[in-house]
Amino acid sequence: MALMQISEPGQSSAPHQRRLAAGIDLGTTHSLIATVRSGEAVCLLDDDGRPLLPSVVHFAEQDVVTGYDALALQAEDPLNTLASIKRLMGRGREDVDRLGEILPYEFIGDEQGGVPRIRTRGGDVTAIEVSAQLLTALAERARSTLGDELDGVVITVPAYFDDAQRQATRDAARLAGLKLLRLLNEPTAAAVAYGLDQGNDGLIAVYDLGGGTFDISLLRLERGVFEVLATGGNSALGGDDMDHAIGEWIIGQAGLGKLDAALARRILIAARRAKENLTEQESVQIDVGGWQGVLDRATLNQLVKPLIDRTLSACRRTLRDAGVGVSEVDDVVMVGGSTRVPLVQQRVGEFFGKAPMCDLNPDEVVALGAAIQADILAGNKPDSDMLLLDVLPLSLAIETMGGLSEKIIERNTAIPVARAQEFTTFKDGQTAMAMHVVQGERELVADCRSLARFELRGIPPMTAGAARIRVTYQVDADGLLSVSAEEATSGVRSEVVVKPSYGLSDGEIESMLRASMEHAGEDMQARMLREQQVEARRVVEAIDAALAQDGERLLSDDELLAIVEPRDRLEQGIDTSSTDELKRLIEALEQASEFYVARRMDDSVRRALKGKQIDEVEVQ
Amino acid sequence: MQTPDPSQNYFELFGLQAIFDIDSVDLQRAQQRLQSTYHPDRFAAASDQERRMSVQMASLINQAYQTLRDPVKRSRYLLEIRGVELPDDSRTTSDHAFLMEQIELREAIDSARQAEDALDRCLALEHQLEQRAAELERAFVSSLEAGDTASAVEGSRKLQFIQRIRQQLDEVLFELEDD
Repeated sequence: MALMQISEPGQSSAPHQRRLAAGIDLGTTHSLIATVRSGEAVCLLDDDGRPLLPSVVHFAEQDVVTGYDALALQAEDPLNTLASIKRLMGRGREDVDRLGEILPYEFIGDEQGGVPRIRTRGGDVTAIEVSAQLLTALAERARSTLGDELDGVVITVPAYFDDAQRQATRDAARLAGLKLLRLLNEPTAAAVAYGLDQGNDGLIAVYDLGGGTFDISLLRLERGVFEVLATGGNSALGGDDMDHAIGEWIIGQAGLGKLDAALARRILIAARRAKENLTEQESVQIDVGGWQGVLDRATLNQLVKPLIDRTLSACRRTLRDAGVGVSEVDDVVMVGGSTRVPLVQQRVGEFFGKAPMCDLNPDEVVALGAAIQADILAGNKPDSDMLLLDVLPLSLAIETMGGLSEKIIERNTAIPVARAQEFTTFKDGQTAMAMHVVQGERELVADCRSLARFELRGIPPMTAGAARIRVTYQVDADGLLSVSAEEATSGVRSEVVVKPSYGLSDGEIESMLRASMEHAGEDMQARMLREQQVEARRVVEAIDAALAQDGERLLSDDELLAIVEPRDRLEQGIDTSSTDELKRLIEALEQASEFYVARRMDDSVRRALKGKQIDEVEVQ
Repeated sequence: MQTPDPSQNYFELFGLQAIFDIDSVDLQRAQQRLQSTYHPDRFAAASDQERRMSVQMASLINQAYQTLRDPVKRSRYLLEIRGVELPDDSRTTSDHAFLMEQIELREAIDSARQAEDALDRCLALEHQLEQRAAELERAFVSSLEAGDTASAVEGSRKLQFIQRIRQQLDEVLFELEDD
């Protein structure tokens, strides 16, 4: 617990029971959930013994069906059966229109702004709600397998996910009633799954070729600390493109002209099957649309080589970004179903000059790593030194005059991070200033992703250029942004937790949550009270641990009393107070102990500076 | 919490001597040691208040690390903690010979990228610039040690110029390697 445990990371004063934690890979085509049991990460299986949950949700009038059952309904009822919904997370109407060909759903809502909604027979839903349904199905699987509710989860996201997409994922977890311990980058999870944190220090490249995306990440491991040095890739390059290349070859060989949708689909399925079979066989028979032929591995290799070369270019660029040479890479980890293609393994091996690691199932590896991280974050492995340090995937910027984007935090900056920049007014007597927060690498705001707009009002009238408006960007460990603005001479402040332009407001989430609980017949009041009681116990536990450790050394008798009084009131109130009362009691204790938390932090910094190793600091 | 202690600078935060030639391994280790203690992941199950503070603390450590890791930022910071006011993003230098050198280097990059053996010539330039940067770093250190603030400020600017040119060359190398 907390800063309260500053000198011994992860250690808890009171021996607590094991917390149930899981890692979730919320994927475009399928999702998985894994947990650590008897020291080993394992994927949890459904009632039929399958680890994968197809990321498909079917909305009927009354019912919601997920996974294989939904997949089975896709052909007969495509409009009410939602798949590939991850592509819509954190996206606005304009993006959706661009994806229209791939996603045949009926979108409703304003042309501009707001979260796109999809019309289904079960009501209008957002991508966030659909993802929450998948998370709920996985959590339910965990509950029935493990016999209890999950205490917390780690959910993985692609390394290139921007703020809006991360926020959307976090909101989905909240909607599913899950405590999110961390959003973890998928490649980092993969490296953890291979236990590389147990091995030697070095540089790790994670090559992740999925169905529709390619990701390359460079991690540095040193004494249990994973540091993401750089990430790169291509969000529109993957195994599907291989299928298309094979499909076009079939169309060319068969001399087919214009295709209808059904035939095109059959050709793609045949192409995929051929690709999969060619991982084991040297040649395969193809029989589709009245055409029969043979595809051998040499031809396949020719077809997919340009795609693989594009992934290797991205690797080179990322190596350069990180300032390391290809020979410095110690381990290469393979992730994603498309890395089963033999030529991929061969070319990647040649590029890095070493055999890539592909022992674990490339579909499961991300979920397994997430489970290991969840176990640590939940506090089940107090001795673990593992720490994952991440970088910001895309630059965060602000709109300046003329629609230009000015970067405030550059991509690949280590997070958490806070940066401030000063701006000024450009008209005499100007009392308000509009802020537009964007994310991306391009110079024009129009080419970047719009994250949020807000306004700083109440600036005292001054001559142009006299006001000093300080805008601060704070990014947390999950890569989520909050922005504040302050006029320095007057102290006028404005603050937003960036609710992305394409996100849901807290109010909307609240009402969705309410609706879903009413649907599930759960008592909202009871649940909120239970959550507040858990939080109260956590706060009491943390303060006790801290006081036991250094209360005597750092606090006078009066100061100690000022903390112990609200602490006792809170503890006595846990089982008897209402939700609101508990909230107030927690706040009272937090306020009373604020100076103490700060003092402990100062104290431990001073100790760290004295060159003392952390483990030498005395713990009582 | 802005800084743990207002009198403490980034070098002190990492327990390092406030000089230009710091050991990058020492810096990285110190940064990791501090992050191991303060990173929000250590507080995943803690109260909101503590999580907020740990985010701030980890941000400070990152900010300090980014500043000291980069030679240009480090040189500017060394001047800053000596109370030298540096103009933001200065683009001028009064050293005409240096100015000429910059122009020549830019032209060299331009002609290298269009040459037959573009990649080789760019890689050679990259090596040349690396050595030039090392020279400028040594000059900066001597000025600083001699207490010659004016030429240390000038030296820091020159480092910045060279860094920009190296970034331009990097961009060219990106393009060449992509083809």
